[in-house]
Amino acid sequence: MSAAALEIRDELTSLERVGLALQYKKPDRVPAAPLVCGASRRVLGYSYDRWSQDPKIAVASLLAAQELIGFDGFLTLVDLSVEAEDFGQEVIFPERSTALSNFDNPFIATADDYSKVKPVDPHNSRRMSAVIEIVRGPVEAKGKEVPTMGFVYGPLGVLSQIRGHAELFKDITRHPDRVLEAVHTINDVLVEYALAQVQAGAHAIVLDPLYSLASILKKSTWVKFEAEIFKSVADAVRDAGVPVIVHNCGGGVYFDAVLEHINPIAISHAYPAHGSADWEEHAANWAKKVVTIGVSDPAKTGHEFTQADVLKDCRHQIETFKIAEGGFILSSGCEYPPNGNLLSARTMVQAAKLYGRY
Amino acid sequence: MPDGRLKLYDEIANAVLELDEERTKALSHEVLKRGYDAWEAVEQGLILGVNRAGKLFDEEEYFVPELLIAADAMYAGLAILRPHIKEQFTGHTRRVVIGVVQGDTHDIGKNLVRIMLEVAGFEVHDLGRDVPPRKFVDRAVEVKADIIALSTLMTTTMERMGEVIGILEDENLRNRFKVIVGGSPLSQQFADRIGADGYAPKAAQAVQLAKRLSGLVNAA
Repeated sequence: MSAAALEIRDELTSLERVGLALQYKKPDRVPAAPLVCGASRRVLGYSYDRWSQDPKIAVASLLAAQELIGFDGFLTLVDLSVEAEDFGQEVIFPERSTALSNFDNPFIATADDYSKVKPVDPHNSRRMSAVIEIVRGPVEAKGKEVPTMGFVYGPLGVLSQIRGHAELFKDITRHPDRVLEAVHTINDVLVEYALAQVQAGAHAIVLDPLYSLASILKKSTWVKFEAEIFKSVADAVRDAGVPVIVHNCGGGVYFDAVLEHINPIAISHAYPAHGSADWEEHAANWAKKVVTIGVSDPAKTGHEFTQADVLKDCRHQIETFKIAEGGFILSSGCEYPPNGNLLSARTMVQAAKLYGRY
Repeated sequence: MPDGRLKLYDEIANAVLELDEERTKALSHEVLKRGYDAWEAVEQGLILGVNRAGKLFDEEEYFVPELLIAADAMYAGLAILRPHIKEQFTGHTRRVVIGVVQGDTHDIGKNLVRIMLEVAGFEVHDLGRDVPPRKFVDRAVEVKADIIALSTLMTTTMERMGEVIGILEDENLRNRFKVIVGGSPLSQQFADRIGADGYAPKAAQAVQLAKRLSGLVNAA
């Protein structure tokens, strides 16, 4: 299998391939871009805490992972605590796992603390400035061949990282004005942060409105507390001439509301859209309306599947999304498991070469 | 049962359903003032209210914020009524130790399972989030738990679940507890691989699983 796949020569660069797919034009084959982010640290043997905090290490790791796996795009997602730390949240950096907010010491401890959220300069903040440098790294090294996608977590998500998820959700009902004020403050910073990533050379910016989910919030609640505000980040990126992609790995994404308010060129996701019972129904409903990036189950691919399973699973996805007429990028529905089997990420790329020829 | 008593319990259920914590507390005090049975008020008022909220959650009328606030109202009423519940009426004979494994702080799913387990009559010992494997085992031994329930939303922390089972095996405790796992990245395949007794993809299914494993319902 793999020997045959390795012999298949690509005709286009990754940049050309992804660029065509994002325009619903069939490239040489289906692009394959498993979201290898934290997992890249293991290629060069760095600890997670160093990878998360040292942009030179992160860049070297991402480049080495791309050489090893051959994926068609870099994603500069570090973790979901990046923006939160710069707003004042204490973050824990485990040696072998993803960094996380210390919710035993939330920056917003009570509803009265929302006013503590103040604007910060992403260029001079510790974590966001590091991500800007991480974007710059692959762009300078391989920007003419492989696209680099920047990453911005939505303002409601950032707020959940400095308040605690459950408390934020209750505050949305109990203290809506305080929540909204903080969301606006954060969003203004995110506009600058996204533009800084554009200036660093990102070929696209991925926005993550994580709570645009029927499994979490009512649609109108998400629209009021995030979509109508986060829209300005998407508009600023587009105005700067760079496409916007949305990523959301939760269950039941409100595709209609996301398209209406954020209007991305593609959506990266792990589950069928809200209202679609399965992938076949999802593909019929949405594959021609917005480019699909996904939809491998990251945990199964990285931790459970054999290589034969990965090939079979990817082949099924490629078949399912043939209906997209080129608008499909094979990927993991969420970040590729940082401690998962790297060979399976490589096998995803091989599957695209074997089964994704146009 | 007198109409006045039923009416009061129904008002409590509605207060919970309407997310009105203050009214739930006031009505719970009213139960005690009138000398009504505290457990009846819990069962036919507080729990009924949360169950109604859960039904609306299933129907996508309520979402996570509403369910969490309804639970807060239930807990506020429970804090008033619990000291007056006669032990023999509580039915809390099955104990669950629950928590989010070390390295993860996503606790919404765990909280939903905790609420539903408590509503179903389990005595739940919630260790919170970012819980080291050893702590699950120690607390389960301490409280003589029937079930250890492990949650995570992250692939990087999934393996912590296996570490809990490893400790149980190393210390010859494995047969004393049923271990159940849940969380978005998990699967039955994963649960089988680490040797868990059960896996539930949704909160409501976790309750059914806990009931089955603890012998409250038939295995079939």
